[in-house]
Amino acid sequence: METSRLEKELGLDEILVKVEEVISAISQAKYVGQVICALHSIALLVFPIDSSLVAASVDPCCRDQILRAELPSSEKRDYWWQVFYGGPAFPVLARVLLHDVACNWLACFPFTAQKHVYDIFFTSGIPTKVVHTLVPCLSYKNGTGPDAEVFLSNVERLLKVLLLENNGVLQMAEEFDRCQWESVPKKQLIASISRVAQLVASIPDKAQPRASYTLSAHNFFKRVICQLLLVTEERVFVSSDGREIFNGDGLDCALHFVGELFARICRRGYVDVLMSEVTTQMLNYARSFLSTSLPLVPDILKSHPGYFFWSNLMGTVKDIYAVEKMLEHLLLQLASEGVNELEAYCIIWILFHKLLKNQISIRTLFTDRFLLWKVFPVCCLRWIFQFAIFESPPNDEFHVEGGYQRQCLLDTVQRVVAVWSKREFVQSYPLEQQAYMTAAVGLLVVKMSKEELDGSKEVMPCVLQGISCRLENPSDIIRKMASSIALAFSKVIDPKNPLYLDDSLKENTIDWEFGFTTSISKDKAINDMNVSAIMPLRISSDGINSGTGSKVKYKRESLPETKMIDPDEIVDPATLGYETGSDCTDDDNSSNEISDVSSNTLLQPYDLSDDDSDLKRRLSHLVDVVGALRKTDDVNGVDQALDMTEKLVRASPDELKYMTGDLVRTLVQVRCSDIAVEGDEDSAEEKRQKALVALHVMCPLESLEMTHKLFYSPNVDISQRIMILDIMSEAAQELAETKAVKPKYQQNPLISVTSDSQPWFLPSSVGPPGAGLWKEVAGTGGKLNFLNPAIENLSNWSTHYERELPSNVNHIKQGKTRRWSTRSWIFQKNLTEISHNKFPIYAAAFMLPVMRGFDKKRHGVDLLGRDFLVLGKLIHMLGVCMKCISLHPEATALAPALLDMLRSRAVCQHPEAYVRKAVLLAASSILIALPPSYVASALVEGDAEILEGLEWVRNWALHVVESDPDKECYSLGMACLQIHNEMALQASRALELANNTTLSKVIDLPSDVFGGNIKIPRSIVD
Amino acid sequence: MTKRPPPGPVAVLRGHRASVTDACFHYSRPVLFTGAADGELRIWDIVQRRTVASAWVHGAAHGIISVASGPVIGADRVLSQGRDGTVKCWDIGDGGLLRNPIFTIKTNSYHFCKLSLVKFPSSHGKQNHNSFSNEEESRRAASTEISDERGGQTQGSLREYSHTPEEDLPAERLNYIAIAGGELSEVEVWDMRNTERVAKFPQNNLGGSQGTSTVERGMCMAVQAYLPSSSQGFLNILAGYEDGSMLWWDIRNPRLPVASVKFHLEPVLSLCIDGQCRGGISGSADDKIVMYSLDYSLGSCSMRKGIDLERAGIASTSIRPDDKIAATAGWDNRVRVYNYRKGSPLAILKYHHATCNSVSFSTDCKQMASASEDKTVALWELYPPQA
Repeated sequence: METSRLEKELGLDEILVKVEEVISAISQAKYVGQVICALHSIALLVFPIDSSLVAASVDPCCRDQILRAELPSSEKRDYWWQVFYGGPAFPVLARVLLHDVACNWLACFPFTAQKHVYDIFFTSGIPTKVVHTLVPCLSYKNGTGPDAEVFLSNVERLLKVLLLENNGVLQMAEEFDRCQWESVPKKQLIASISRVAQLVASIPDKAQPRASYTLSAHNFFKRVICQLLLVTEERVFVSSDGREIFNGDGLDCALHFVGELFARICRRGYVDVLMSEVTTQMLNYARSFLSTSLPLVPDILKSHPGYFFWSNLMGTVKDIYAVEKMLEHLLLQLASEGVNELEAYCIIWILFHKLLKNQISIRTLFTDRFLLWKVFPVCCLRWIFQFAIFESPPNDEFHVEGGYQRQCLLDTVQRVVAVWSKREFVQSYPLEQQAYMTAAVGLLVVKMSKEELDGSKEVMPCVLQGISCRLENPSDIIRKMASSIALAFSKVIDPKNPLYLDDSLKENTIDWEFGFTTSISKDKAINDMNVSAIMPLRISSDGINSGTGSKVKYKRESLPETKMIDPDEIVDPATLGYETGSDCTDDDNSSNEISDVSSNTLLQPYDLSDDDSDLKRRLSHLVDVVGALRKTDDVNGVDQALDMTEKLVRASPDELKYMTGDLVRTLVQVRCSDIAVEGDEDSAEEKRQKALVALHVMCPLESLEMTHKLFYSPNVDISQRIMILDIMSEAAQELAETKAVKPKYQQNPLISVTSDSQPWFLPSSVGPPGAGLWKEVAGTGGKLNFLNPAIENLSNWSTHYERELPSNVNHIKQGKTRRWSTRSWIFQKNLTEISHNKFPIYAAAFMLPVMRGFDKKRHGVDLLGRDFLVLGKLIHMLGVCMKCISLHPEATALAPALLDMLRSRAVCQHPEAYVRKAVLLAASSILIALPPSYVASALVEGDAEILEGLEWVRNWALHVVESDPDKECYSLGMACLQIHNEMALQASRALELANNTTLSKVIDLPSDVFGGNIKIPRSIVD
Repeated sequence: MTKRPPPGPVAVLRGHRASVTDACFHYSRPVLFTGAADGELRIWDIVQRRTVASAWVHGAAHGIISVASGPVIGADRVLSQGRDGTVKCWDIGDGGLLRNPIFTIKTNSYHFCKLSLVKFPSSHGKQNHNSFSNEEESRRAASTEISDERGGQTQGSLREYSHTPEEDLPAERLNYIAIAGGELSEVEVWDMRNTERVAKFPQNNLGGSQGTSTVERGMCMAVQAYLPSSSQGFLNILAGYEDGSMLWWDIRNPRLPVASVKFHLEPVLSLCIDGQCRGGISGSADDKIVMYSLDYSLGSCSMRKGIDLERAGIASTSIRPDDKIAATAGWDNRVRVYNYRKGSPLAILKYHHATCNSVSFSTDCKQMASASEDKTVALWELYPPQA
């Protein structure tokens, strides 16, 4: 020991002297040959190089020197190598090499010289030392310019050559394995390992952005990982021979290095790259392993060659975050690979079994974090349960055994269900998460026994609560989740009596994916293949069946038809005589039969099919309809009345006005489910709704009066309220679409202007439409003329004026042709106008009464709380109404009121997404409905109310887009913003137009109108 | 085999201003009598399909229950029964109705029961009535017997009405009508010649102890008088009651019915006896039509066939004189046609859009009339007879 150290020190001195020589030679060199010679002289000492290769590429003057150089013996050389890299010699020389040589000379180096006297110092050294020297240089920031660039690219090149082309990472792992580290204390060792790992992992980040593709993070890590996996492969084979590889304190340095590097890579966000490589390798192991030994039990798994290595490797990854990320990506990777349950279980078990046993945090990862916070495909959920909770390989006839596992199951169920059942969870979590949690609950509940469910105090009520709060959700998928859980739950409670809340669940298996499948697993693909392989068979067999069926039909058709006998045909008198004769003579049985036969042929029955369609057409008065609807015990009567109501109402009889209220009330209160045959409820419901819509269209005011009364009355239930709102919006739309023909009234100016064309003394042209021009008719008298001669110039006093007037509207011209109404006359004169929207006059009647007092909680009505569905529908209905009056003056009157309602905190920040969606919709329709000119004038006049409202819409939509958990809300919010921008644009255009016109007319506006005193909402300025 | 759709009516007679309650063909001429709920009697020419005459023969408030025509009353006469408690006989000889009836029978009964003329076995198919000699005799005997029972009352001399003598012959002896009585559960027989009541069933004036009472059976709803061929000319009466039972009375024993059966659960609304008087058909307010056979020698009435209906209520039944088919008028607006011998359904005739009140066949079997509450009378031609 002592001598070797002495020798080392001696050698160190020697080598340092040599290095000094070389450095000075380089600094004094004038030709590149001199530099190569200097480097060669030291390289020769340390590395086994072929001088002739170097000599071939340099100047002749230097060639001799190179060839003359003395070759040291191989032992001597190894010794020098040790000393060179062990001491400060390498860092010193490296510094010169990297800075001076690289910048000044390297460009002139021939390729072989570069390789053998320059790169060799880095590629053939101790990789850890080299890395320690090279990597910090990457962050060298001294100066810019060409030199720095050359320097950096050189370092990058060297790293690339070292780590990627020369398998430097693998070398490092081997290096850590070598005995030279045995003397180093464990702590220090670990520190140095992690230091190296950190350096390696930091290379892509430190490398310049413009660095070559090979050093880009993705590629770099991929290649590093490949090298590391090579290590593992070696290890697996080694460990399969004997396990004594682990030294005394159980620290395997290479393993540690690999683990550390994995963790670092995960930390840097390249876990997907890592896991895709790892998964591929593991999958190969697992498949080859499973193909040999079929019955899968943990003991056999333990004999798996990779088990020891991998479980230890995972043990070395101390970073819990990295472990979580790795596991997460492993699951996703496996799911996307479409592995089967057994393979997945096998892989997860190998990697994580030891961790699960040893670390509580890993268990919580599985049973808590992955269930409550993440979203995986459902198959992953199965694996998680199988691995972490049931802790047994997946079997078909699997039963959870063992008290510990049962307890674990129970705990997990409780934890999951407690979260799942909360109303807030339903309200505020994204749908995918909900589906995932629901699947978790379902899969766990299925595994429980009835006794356990009864035994635990919390699970059952939680499950029931969760189901009930989901069942009343407006979203289909969420209701389906509830019914799926209910089915699973009921199967546990009473397997013989499953509870089907949904028709689509009739098949035995529940689809826990709820349509959120993201990856198509290979299994499924295979299944599909099978199915498709089977399907053609089926189809063909079907085809055969149908073929035979048609044949049979054909046969039947081709059967000779029994001869039809026309009852009206003239009967042969001979048979007649016979028959009557026998009939008259005796009443024997035989003769009776004969006569029966003959009468049979005579009395051929007609078609005896009978339907009661004609019997239904009795109701022809609304009074009867109301009466029939009230007799709920007469099911047919009610049905019939429902059939008739719409037609009758649309016919608009005179008494409709007086019957409307009654009719609306009766219709709303009819219980369609009671009267209709099972499976036919929908049609009855539809008829009822159509009738109600018809009532609201034909007689809006009268029916609305009753509707509003009913809407807030405690005697109707939620479904009826929703129906009321539905029919109101439908009626509004229908009213908005109806065309009404009304006579156009000629508008006369309110102030009559004495125009140039018409002298003042003429009678005004005011009169009924169609009047002709005034004509002067000379009067007979002229008596006043002489009194004032001046008047001679003017018209005669007695002159009178006449014009043709159209006949009175009610006056019917008599003549040969008859006109059926006075309307045709109007048509002739082209004086009709077609109005396309009848709704605006009723809009206020539709909207205001329901808006009043929606936030009051009264008996049976709690819109803001329990009946949020009704509230959502209500707001939606108001939005529809708003849309129906868009660009009509009524919109400007109603918009502020509606905005006011939407702005109230309880509405716009309602916990249910359903309500928020409705609010967004209504807000958007307000934006659409307001005429741009109105917005512009509001700006000019500073109408605070509407401006604030519009500004609020924008802010709130922004808020929704930023922070709403619901996806639909998000997209609606985006749409709302877009519409808002559009409106702002239109308004600013209108404003410009107004400015132009006002300016052109030179009207003095108060100076502050265009000054800065009015606040223009940001949106509009934008 | 594809079924033919049921035929529509060959003609529809419109003109009544109220529900048509009864229709009746003239027994020999192409004439149809109809009576309406507002008391109007109309006479139709069914060749031209026009109204020949019309008159309000009963009060508008009461209306007509039934109209009847037959050889027993004569070719120029028609009977109308109103709900005002009268039966009136009208002369139609000169194509119109006279203002005053020939005679009026005041039965003072107010009910829903249509009157019945006496039906006798006919040998249908022989259109000439000349060979009636045997039956004539028996009828003569029967009338004699009745008049004997009435205490030697002389046969009233009816007014002469000129017509083909062969049709007039039986009429003189069968001038009786059966009708529900003033006591609603009783059946009365009136003599048209002197407009007097001749009999009453049950007859309880001779010490009611042994006689049965029909009070508990409720009102008499339908009645049919007939002469079974083997009854030696004694009048028999079949009566249907409100409780669904039917009683068979023989005029010789007005205290006890020959037979008592209950085929129906609801009031019997209509009774019809076939041409041979060996059976008949009954309709009621329940959902059943019963075809029964009558055996005079055994004194039994037995159900031959029961037909269940989809919708309850048969207001009227009728058997075609050739006994081939029978028709029913239903409350469900339909006229149903059955094979009378087999009881099998033949057709469901849909034309009326209100309750059918009456259905009736013409004597020549060629036509059928149905009267309905929708104020129309429909004429049908079904299964033409083989002659």
